[in-house]
Amino acid sequence: MKTIIGLISGGGDIGRTRVFWIGFGVIVLLFLLYPTQTSAFRVSNVSYYLLNIPLGLGMALLWGYCGVLSFGHVAYFGIAGYTYGVIAGNMTENPLGPLAGVAGGLLASAFIAGIFGYFVFYARVQKWIIPILTLVLTLLLETFLGQTAGYQWRIGSVLLGGYNGMTGIPWFQLGGFVFEGYSFYYLCLFVVLACYFSLRMLVNSNFGQVIVAIREDEVRTELLGYDIRARQWVVFVLSAMLAGLSGLLYVQWGNYITPSQVGLLQAALPVIWAAVGGTTSLLAVVISAFTLNWVTYTLSSQGNQYAMVIIGTLLVVTMLFFPRGIVVMVAERLGRLTTRRTAPSKP
Amino acid sequence: MELNAAIETRSLNKRFGGVVAADNVNFKVLSGELRCMIGPNGAGKSTLFAMLCGLESADSGQIFVFGQDVTRTQAFKRVRLGVGLTFQTNRAFHDLSVRENLTIPRASAKQENMEVGQARLAFALDAFGLDPNDQTKAGELPHNQLQWLEMAMILVGYPNLILLDEPTAGMAPEETQQTAKVLKHLNSTGLTTVVVEHDMAFVKDIAQTVTVLHQGQVFAEGSVAEITAHENVRKIYLGRA
Repeated sequence: MKTIIGLISGGGDIGRTRVFWIGFGVIVLLFLLYPTQTSAFRVSNVSYYLLNIPLGLGMALLWGYCGVLSFGHVAYFGIAGYTYGVIAGNMTENPLGPLAGVAGGLLASAFIAGIFGYFVFYARVQKWIIPILTLVLTLLLETFLGQTAGYQWRIGSVLLGGYNGMTGIPWFQLGGFVFEGYSFYYLCLFVVLACYFSLRMLVNSNFGQVIVAIREDEVRTELLGYDIRARQWVVFVLSAMLAGLSGLLYVQWGNYITPSQVGLLQAALPVIWAAVGGTTSLLAVVISAFTLNWVTYTLSSQGNQYAMVIIGTLLVVTMLFFPRGIVVMVAERLGRLTTRRTAPSKP
Repeated sequence: MELNAAIETRSLNKRFGGVVAADNVNFKVLSGELRCMIGPNGAGKSTLFAMLCGLESADSGQIFVFGQDVTRTQAFKRVRLGVGLTFQTNRAFHDLSVRENLTIPRASAKQENMEVGQARLAFALDAFGLDPNDQTKAGELPHNQLQWLEMAMILVGYPNLILLDEPTAGMAPEETQQTAKVLKHLNSTGLTTVVVEHDMAFVKDIAQTVTVLHQGQVFAEGSVAEITAHENVRKIYLGRA
């Protein structure tokens, strides 16, 4: 137990003081109570903001901690979502269908990422090429899925649906209990907290220290005896599974998925969430993914056509004035203020 | 292949386009030896180090580390044979703390050398004035301590052989002397040490044998006295005939 607490509260992420954890607990409590104070519609919207967080966390882990930028992680979001739709959609009579869909979706995203990552990392592809390759993969996937209109493009009884997408995807259920509405909100909250705490433990472990060392200097790390290719591959697959997890929650939330979910616009979003929050902090990306999803969704649902322009502008402002991310830099400033206040005054 | 050779290269060749970095290099360092390697800029010293540790592949020839042919072995696997290397330009993890810099190499440490390795590390940390629990960012350390930190990092892996590329570059004379003291002590515990250096006073202080590289070839080899008295070495490197 001591080890787990030590790993969670280690120095791999911002927020280690007692005050931080009290504040964290209060915010979690507010999230737990939120559904009792608002409408089902709003709860559903917040579920959407929450379900995107694992995708953002995967980006933080891969880019911020391991130094590898993927511009196409939504491909794994889409692969998991479509796989779930196909499996669960073909097993509608079976209560285990959604669970099989979840397992299939995660395995599919891990499998494709595993093959892709193997060629990228074991061939020692230069870092600046990786974002291009990952983007190409997701755009290929979008193009492929876009031309799957027609009855001939079906797997079992499930139609892929071309640009109209796959519809009628079943809710997630465990045994006879179906997760929809409020229960789905709590499922999303649970998944986000589980991912966050697991990743905090990971980045504070020996493995986490080594991936940060790889980010800092690949050659130095290799000459300390580490197979950096294997570790980059593991992180890549893990982050793809996190993207897949978001894809699974997305199709369970909306019961549909379209190829635009793996398109250029969607591909840019997790990169923006990570950059705006600060790539080197998991918590920063959680905050930024939630907030930016809220901003985008709210603006879009009010008919504002400029949602993406505003998000893009925010990215430019961040790059210019907050190069390490807004949340990270604010946290650093707060940390310095606290230290100054608690430091003994000079005689 | 001699059994007590820590490193041996046979007819090692390497070219970068038209530049010959290694020309039929036959080089051998015995276990427990403290060897210095000198030569003018561009003589091929750093390239030889890079080939020894696996960062560069040889065009032809063979490399043996502790009797094992490692010519086609990946760099990280050579390190696991007990090889540690520091670079010409300091490559400690500047954005990480001293503590993290000294923790990261621990997982790949050569456990069979643990007892002697721990004693060597403790001596070096003490002599260098480095605290293994220091939370200061490595990048904030003064230059000499940063150099020493990188040396300590490779000692965390409990190596049998260390390759140091200009370990005293940019150090003040007293810091250079301290480095020499530590290297001589480490070598006295049986740690094979190969050092590339330009500072001849330092070389004279520590070296048992000196290898002179010139235009990618082993130009001369012998004791410090032999090398400093070598007429052609004085011409090409020491700057006086």
